[in-house]
Parts: sequence; structure tokens; C-alpha cells
Amino acid sequence: MSIFRKIYAWHLTLLVLLLTACQPTPPTATSDKVSFMVFGDPAELKAYQTLVKVFITQHPEIEIELIHIPGQSDYRQRLAADFAAGTPADVVLINYRRLAGFAIKHALEPLGPYLDQSAALNATDFYTPALDAFYWQGQHVCIPQNISSLVVYYNQDLFEAAGMAYPQTGWTWDDFLATAQALTKDTDGDGATDQYGLGVEPEFIRVAPFIWQNGGDLATPLGLTLGTPEALAAVQWFVNWQVTHHIVPGRAEEESESSESRFQNGRTAMYLNSRRIVPTLREAATFEWDVAPLPQNVARATLLHADAYCLAAVSKAKDAAWTFIEFANSADGQTLIAKTGRTVPSLKAVAESPAFLDPTVKPAHSQVFLDEIPYIFRLPLVPGWVDIEEITSAELQRAFYGDAPVAEAMVSAVTRAAPYFTEND
Amino acid sequence: MIKRVRALPYRTELGLMLVPYLLGVAGLIGLPALLSVGMAFVFYDALSPPTWAGLANFREILTDPTDPLFKIALANSLYFVALAVPLRTLGALGLALWLNRQRRGVGLYRAAVYLPTVIPDVAYALIWLWIFNPLYGPVNLTLNALNLPTPGWLADGDTAKLVFVIMALFQIGEGFVVLLAGLQNIPPEYYASAAVDGANRWQILRHLTLPLLAPWLLLLTVRDVILSFQTTFTANFIMTGGGPYYATLFLPMEIYNEAFDAFRFGPGAAMMLLMFALTAALIGVMFSFLNDWREADEH
Amino acid sequence: MNTKQNDRNPVSSSVSRKRVSRGLIYHAISWAILILFILPLVWMVSASLRQPGLAPPRIIEWIPNPIAWGNYARLFDLLPVGRYALNSLIVSSLAVPLTLLTASWAGFAMAQLSARGRERLMTFSLVVLMIPVTAVWLTRYVLFAWLGWVNSYLALLAPGIMGSSPLFILLFYWAFRRIPAELYEAARLEGAGAFVIWWRVALPLAGATLVAVGLLAFILYWSDFITPLLYLKSQSLYTLPVGLRQLQEMDRTNWPLLMAGSVVMTTPVIVLFLIVQRYFLQESRLAGIYGQ
Repeated sequence: MSIFRKIYAWHLTLLVLLLTACQPTPPTATSDKVSFMVFGDPAELKAYQTLVKVFITQHPEIEIELIHIPGQSDYRQRLAADFAAGTPADVVLINYRRLAGFAIKHALEPLGPYLDQSAALNATDFYTPALDAFYWQGQHVCIPQNISSLVVYYNQDLFEAAGMAYPQTGWTWDDFLATAQALTKDTDGDGATDQYGLGVEPEFIRVAPFIWQNGGDLATPLGLTLGTPEALAAVQWFVNWQVTHHIVPGRAEEESESSESRFQNGRTAMYLNSRRIVPTLREAATFEWDVAPLPQNVARATLLHADAYCLAAVSKAKDAAWTFIEFANSADGQTLIAKTGRTVPSLKAVAESPAFLDPTVKPAHSQVFLDEIPYIFRLPLVPGWVDIEEITSAELQRAFYGDAPVAEAMVSAVTRAAPYFTEND
Repeated sequence: MIKRVRALPYRTELGLMLVPYLLGVAGLIGLPALLSVGMAFVFYDALSPPTWAGLANFREILTDPTDPLFKIALANSLYFVALAVPLRTLGALGLALWLNRQRRGVGLYRAAVYLPTVIPDVAYALIWLWIFNPLYGPVNLTLNALNLPTPGWLADGDTAKLVFVIMALFQIGEGFVVLLAGLQNIPPEYYASAAVDGANRWQILRHLTLPLLAPWLLLLTVRDVILSFQTTFTANFIMTGGGPYYATLFLPMEIYNEAFDAFRFGPGAAMMLLMFALTAALIGVMFSFLNDWREADEH
Repeated sequence: MNTKQNDRNPVSSSVSRKRVSRGLIYHAISWAILILFILPLVWMVSASLRQPGLAPPRIIEWIPNPIAWGNYARLFDLLPVGRYALNSLIVSSLAVPLTLLTASWAGFAMAQLSARGRERLMTFSLVVLMIPVTAVWLTRYVLFAWLGWVNSYLALLAPGIMGSSPLFILLFYWAFRRIPAELYEAARLEGAGAFVIWWRVALPLAGATLVAVGLLAFILYWSDFITPLLYLKSQSLYTLPVGLRQLQEMDRTNWPLLMAGSVVMTTPVIVLFLIVQRYFLQESRLAGIYGQ
């Protein structure tokens, strides 16, 4: 018995020593070290590295630590974990779909006041849809870097080989389907498709534009509205790409080689994505490619993709961080990033300049992104949006790969997502 | 020469030796685990102070019709444990019996059996992700060449869990070594006298070897049950993330999602408590079943 | 097998023929087992040498044509894999001695205690083994964040303080229990303290266990994925498991590249294992590890 008492005594002593010795260092006064966390492919990373390098030459007194997380979902998780532990990077990129979750917990320092007082930046310099995507409870929280949207990337070589005309603005759902069908081929006669007409990730954010195009809507503040006839018809048309027409890979094919990889390697004619993949395509694609707007139906619509520079509320270097954010969103900063192809600049001046529109740099028709701006729709800002999106995407995939009828999947999605609209964190 | 005068009494020295272990367990496991238990009864999201929830978290994960994921993960984990543990134990036993005797080359064979256990988790997951690739992986290419049906493996809800079971079957090195040691702890005289008594191979196995191995088998099975509930995380995370449509959502992944992804620590901790209780219950059942069997066997 | 002698005797030559055929069956089946267990590694290497980007072949290709050694170069190009490997090595090399120290201490103390003390500690260790890792992830993260250990290797090495796993303590416990009590007695009579006995008497006689635990501990820390995932933020600190995950996030279905990364990650452990395995997979040593 006494041996244990002795052990406990040693325990307590050592525990006390350990705890007193390992106190967290007290916060120093405003330091000039700013950490900046980003996500993206290696090509995107290079863009940010260039930005940081140029900034440091102009502001040698500020040190920027660039933290890079390759995958978007890993990035999101890391972001949340960092905020929860109270140790986020000073400057983070946040997609507007995630904004509400962080804003409602006061994790971010609103940048509206900084913007108002800024000499270099003005709210009117930005495209309104981009800026307003980050407007929460009366003020602008973050400064958007881009106003990208969903477009169609297409492989010009494959179109020419099949003698098809390139997609044009104003093309309809039927045109779209017919084009994809014509470009889906079994080139070596073994019964398996070798070239797909279309590639797409069956995610909620990919089907959303088509719901709007069919005159439906996604959600009210109370819940998803995927049960309406317009929404169901749009989802059914989307799902039929795989289930009925097989113009996109099935589940096993997608597991084996992702649509993005297929397109990059020249085995898919069209691919739906935002501006994000341009740097990678510029580097890796060995074929001629360009972009075209989405087809349209009852309405013309596309989905906003925008991320913004946000400042962590617990940052100890807010002024230095703002200096960096200001630079990143100045004409110079945005031009730098735009030249890498990563963004559709949120600053009107830069977007309409050759840095973005230069037709000799792929995609030649970057103008398409600007033409779409009047037709951009936004997803609602709901704090629980991450969960809603995950649930809906899971249900959509179930229907997309033929495991459940669309109606059943959408009813399940609406039911399962309902609590996240009303939860009040 | 060893010093004659000791500074501390022997038992104190032993106590000192235990300090890092006990201190470490208390600080790294005991304290966090207790906190987690407490967390099961509050609402907490790490950004605001916790508020009392009582049994609400348990009610939510067990009965909420809009959130069936815990029940799905529980069922999946039970399926996995029910398949993997017996198969692994049998596999380890069979291999240990086969490679027990000291023969030429046995060291090589034993090393080969242990080899997959040594492969780091992330690499192991990626390797099997490739092997079971539905279109290009070696398994389906072989099946195709033999004109056999090629299942979708991880792309098909019905076969996806089997992939995890098969992966677990290749990592029986540890159990194999434990049983080898158990076998070699049986004095050879026992076998000699059994042979003299005219017992054949099967009788030796059933009445001599297995009963003597029983404590090892029990230890192995208990440890396996515990491990099988927990070790799917890395493979789960890397290979499927839970899909297709939650077919491969196992408990550790669901707990991770709930706590680290959605920051609902309360329900996450509740899930963890239930998982722990279930593991303990299963082991209790196994122990009592074994006691009954042993009693029945004693004649 | 003494075939020369048996040739003279017709009866024993038929016995020896049976022995030979049984021996052949044994080796045939054992080789089949060996091949089965090695297959995943073979496929890993084979897939790592395939040219990425091409439509993969529809028949099994044991040796790809053309062999793309460039995959490994590309791997080191995309991510600082050399740096990651070095980091993994640093963490493991620090963790193993620490683990051996604390685990053998605890195992030794446990072996020397009274029967009641031993039983309690044994039960304690088994209970600790049962606690799911998921129970401690989050609260441990909060604890370490408060201590300022995030983004440092302290968080990764912390389990070394407690011997990394109760299993290791038990392994040492069994090893030290097998040492004849007279040896301990004799040392104590000479006035040796616990630490001296541990160092001079117990450890030298537990060689196989030291090797086994050392290897298992190395593998544990080399493979650790969750802890670096949660705690490491600076890319310069990343270890191989996180690096491999990064690679997967960059190109989810680039199998040749992912397999190349797996080869880089697996090879050191395999080499270490092959060097060290005879110390605990051979007969005489085995009983010394999992003994009473």
C-alpha cells in the first residue's frame, strides 16, 4: 500500500512541476509575422508563392509564412480544427459557402471597416456579387479574391476529330446532351467506353446551377426545396447523364480514374468545373482546350465560386495581416494571381485587363467568365451549410450511380438536412 | 564494484521507475478520457463554453430519424468485427500450427507472414486501394482473365466492407507470433507421451494443443475485438471516407467526423462512450461464454 | 536427411521417400503462403513503375512497359519527400529509445512488485489497452494546444513518456519475469539498487524483447498518421504519412505516383524488419518474448 502512496506523491510533484514549467508563452505585442493558409494544386501554390515573394520585397518588415494544404476538404477540416483550438493562421482563404459557420461564432475579424478606411481599395472597385457573398449581419467580413463560376471546359482536339462544332453561348440542354452523346466513344471495340463525352463530380454544387436553370430554387431559410417539380426534373436530367445516357463514367470507372484526371489526360471531351483547374491544365494538358458557358434551359444561370481573404479574430498581427490582404487585393496583387490563371479577379479593373483576358493564353475565351456574372446565383449563407452540402451530395451520388430513384434520394436529403437549417449554434 | 550504500530504498526506486508510465497514462490517456466522458453530457463546439445536455446527445445519436449515421456506423463496425476477428484468429492459428516446427526455411516463411503487418497504415491503405481498383487493379484483372465476375469492391456498397476484412486478414502477424510463442511453450514431452498413447494428429490437436493454447487464444481474441473496433480509421479515411453511401462508415471515422469535422463534441463523445461500453460488453460475453465452455469441457 | 544410410535398408528408403514427399508438400504450401503474403508488396512496386497518364492496361502487367523510373523523380519534385522522410526518421529515432527506457522501467518495476501490486498493474494496463484512441483525440488536442505543443514534435513524441503502449510494458514484464529469481536475489544481496539491477541484470537478458519492442515502436511512430494530421501545421515538419495523404489529395487516382510514395514509405520499415526479425521469429527466442 505504501508503495502506491509514494508513487502518487511523486506523481503530483512532477505533474505540478511539469504544468508550471510548461505555461504557454504570454502574448507579445503586435509582431510582424503573418501566417497565411491556402489550399490548391501545386500550380496554384506557385501562384501564392509568387504573391508572397513580391509582397515581401515591398514590405520587408513583415514576414509571411505560407501554409499549404493540398485538398479542399482537408483544408476545411484543418481550418475548423485550428479555429477550435484557437490557433488559426492570421490570414485564411475561406469559401463563401463556409463563411456563415465561422462568422456566427465570431471567429473572424470583419474587414469591412478596414476596407472603408483603406486608401488603396474601394468597395466599388469590386464586382458586387463577389463582395456581397461575404456580407454577414450588416458588414463585409472578408475580401473576395475571385468571382469564378461553373463553366464547361472542352477538349478542342476531340471536338475536331469528331467534326463537332464548339459549344456556343446560348446552347440548350438538348444541344448539350447531344454533344456529349456524340463524343462518347468506344474506340477499341472492347465494349467499354474509352472516351467520355462529359466529366463531372456528382456533387450538390454541380447540380445546383441546373436547378436554377430549370426555374427551381434550392432552399428557403427553413430548408431545402428539392422536392419541387422543377428541382426534381433538373436533378433527374443531371442524374440521367450517368444512369440513362452513360455519357459520364460510372462509379467503378470514377473510382479507377477521376473525371478530372481523364480530362487532363485527353480522354474526356467536356468537363464541368470552376476556374480552379486552369493553372493545372496550362501546365499539364497536351491538347487544345477552351471554356464555354453552361447550357441554358428556362433560364440562364451558373453558380458562384468565390473565396476570400479573411482575418482571424484571434490574430495578433492584424495590422500587418491587413497590409498583406490589401496588397493581395490591390490591382498589382490581383494581377499577379490572375496571370497564373487561378482566379477570375474580383476587381473589375483587373478582370477587364489583358492580365485576365489575354486571348493568347489559355483559355482563350476567359471572357466567358465575365459574361456569366449577371447570371450568377449564390448559395444561401447558412451556418450549417457544410453538413447540408455533404448530406445532399451523398444522396445525389446515390441517385447518380443508380442505387436509388431521384425522388427518394431528394426526399431523404431534405429530411436529413432539415435540422441544420434551424440549429442555432 | 557495486556501491554498498544506497541512496533510496528499493521500493522507492521501483516507484520511480513506474512514474513515467503512470504519469504518462494519467496525463495522456486518463485525463483526456475522463474529459471525453464528461463531454458526452454537454453541448460543446470548442468556440463557446459548454452547456449541460444531460442525455440529449445519446438520444440524438440513437433515436434521431434524420441522423442515422451512428447506427449505420455501429452496424458496419459490428459486421467487421464479427467477420474479421474469427477469421483472423483462425488464420493466425492455422499458420502458427503450420509453421511451428523448426524446419529448413521456416524463418523465411514466418517472416513473410509477418511482413504485411509491418507496412505503415497509410501506405497499406493505398496499396489495397490499388489492388482492389475495380477496373485496373490486379484482383479484378485476374478475375477477368479467368472469366469470373468482377465485383465493384469499394465502388459497390455490397462488397466494400469485404475489402476491409480482407485487408485485416493479411495483417495477422502479431497473432501469429503470439500463438507461435504459445505453441512453443508446450513442453515437447506432452507430445511424446501423447504419441506413446497412440493419439493421432487430430486428437493431439483437439485435446492437447488447443486446450493448452486456450489462454493465448483468449488473449488474442480479446485484443483483436478491441483493436478491430478501433483500427479501421486510417484505412477508412484514406480509402473511402465512408462511402459508397455510408457502406464503409465505421465507428472511429464517424466519431472523427462528428467531433473533428462538425465540431459536435458532445455527440462525438457520446458515440465514443457507447463504443467503449459495447467493446467491454462483448468481451464480457466472450469471457462468460468461455467459462461455460470450459466448465462443460471438464470431465 | 541421411539418405545414404537409408538406401541400404529397403524399408527405411520408403519411409524416407514419404518424408521427402511430405517435405515437398510442406515447402510447396509454405511457398504458396509466402507468395500470397508478399503479393501486395510486389504489386505495389510493379504499379509504381507504370507510366502515369496512359490508359492503364486491361491485363495484369507484372513488369510495366515502359518502366517509368521517372515516377520517383516526379514524387520528389511535387513534394519535399526527402524532408518528410527525414522528419519521420527523426521522430522515430527519438521515440524508440524513449519508449525502450520507459517501457522497460515500468515492466521491470511491475515484475519486481508483490503479487497484488502486479495484478493491479496488469489489470490497469489491460484496461488502458481497451480505451479507444478516439476517446483521447480531441481532449488531448485541446490539452496540447494549451501547452503550446501544437506544431511541434512534442505532441508526436508524448506517448513515449508512457512507454508508447501498455503492450510494450507487458512484453517487458513477461521478459523480466522469466529471468530466474536467483539472479535478482544475488544482485540485491550485493547491494545493487533497482536501477542497477535493471541495467546490469535484467536488460542484458531480455535482448529479444528489446529488439521486438524497438522494432514495433519504430513502426508505430513511422506509421503514425492521426497525430501528425492533427498537430503538424508547418510543411517543413510534416512526416511521411501526412505527405502521402497530401499526394493523394493532389491527384486522387494517380496510382503510379501513389504507389511510388508508398514504396518510399514502406521500404525503410521492411529493411529494418528483415534485418531484425530473426531475433524474435526464431524458435528459441520466441518463448522468451511471450512467456509467463
